[in-house]
Amino acid sequence: MTQQEVIAQLRAVMKRSSKARVDWDAVQPDTKIEILGFDSLSILDLIYDIQQEFKLDFEAEEVVAIKTVGQLADFLMKKGA
Amino acid sequence: MRYLLEYAAARGMLCMLDRMDLAASERLATRIAGFWFLLHGMRRRVAIDNIIRSGITSDPKEAQRIARDSFRHFAVLVVESLKSGECFNEQNWKDRVRVDINPETMRLLEDPRQGIILVSGHFGNWEIAAQLLSYLKPVAGITRPLDNPYTNRLMESRKPRNRFRLIPKHDTDALRFLKILRNGEMLALLNDQHARREDPLVDFFGRPAHTHTSPALLHLVTRTPLCFGYCLRTGPMQYTVHAGPPLHFAATGNREADIRTILEALNRLLEDAIRLHPEQYLWAHRRWK
Repeated sequence: MTQQEVIAQLRAVMKRSSKARVDWDAVQPDTKIEILGFDSLSILDLIYDIQQEFKLDFEAEEVVAIKTVGQLADFLMKKGA
Repeated sequence: MRYLLEYAAARGMLCMLDRMDLAASERLATRIAGFWFLLHGMRRRVAIDNIIRSGITSDPKEAQRIARDSFRHFAVLVVESLKSGECFNEQNWKDRVRVDINPETMRLLEDPRQGIILVSGHFGNWEIAAQLLSYLKPVAGITRPLDNPYTNRLMESRKPRNRFRLIPKHDTDALRFLKILRNGEMLALLNDQHARREDPLVDFFGRPAHTHTSPALLHLVTRTPLCFGYCLRTGPMQYTVHAGPPLHFAATGNREADIRTILEALNRLLEDAIRLHPEQYLWAHRRWK
């Protein structure tokens, strides 16, 4: 998958877990995840959904340093997305 | 003004406690708890009703006895939590504490790189449990600050900490739980308080109760070992720390079902512990709203 394809899929997954009103179509690689409306619980919902949606096995702690949607997409691609 | 008056009263109580030895403090606390039990009709009725509807006993007199003992236990808990810094340190804590921890769990506690999620309830002495476990591994717990900021600061300054820290319930760092586990700490969660309406209903003593999902979700996404434990009071400033084997649940893809499986298992473990020592449970909380 390309980064754009991964980001498109991430938008759909994030929309399900986020509690904020976000223009998901405007989410770009440099969009910071912290502005997308996740709290300490919904971020866990998001990680669960990402693991299931992309069928990837990774430790959730690995995403702690990730700041942007683009970095998250790159991480998932490295893991096999 | 009300906050200042409450703060003054709290400071006065703490000064009095500091001047009294443990036995005298506990006698006073037990008497105050007895009066509180008589005067606070709503909490008393909630406690008795909860005990009967949980099947602990069907006898109203026995339910009243357990409820009153529960109030007394809570008062003693407060005293012992505030005085525990005088009694326990890293060298002597095992003199007063029996450690009943599953060997596999103990190996996890002794590994500084391994995070662990410990789930318990408002049973035994959860405050001292965190302090004692922090002698084995750094512990992070979640707290909701008291409404009164003066009293909150006062109580926070009095609690012995060792390697035990409290993080606010409404912290803005969405990744805080993951960071705690990545750092090899224990995340201690009390999972028996009434949760949000959107949280799932899971049976607790046979009655559905909204239950926090965080321990289940954390375990599913991090695969950090999940463990149930508690700290039972066995005498004045004497305890047994119990922790069962690590629990492992696999994600199936059905998030709601996965969460429910884990929460049901944790609730059953807490119920089993409470049935053995019902007077050490906080029955006055309106769990089943």
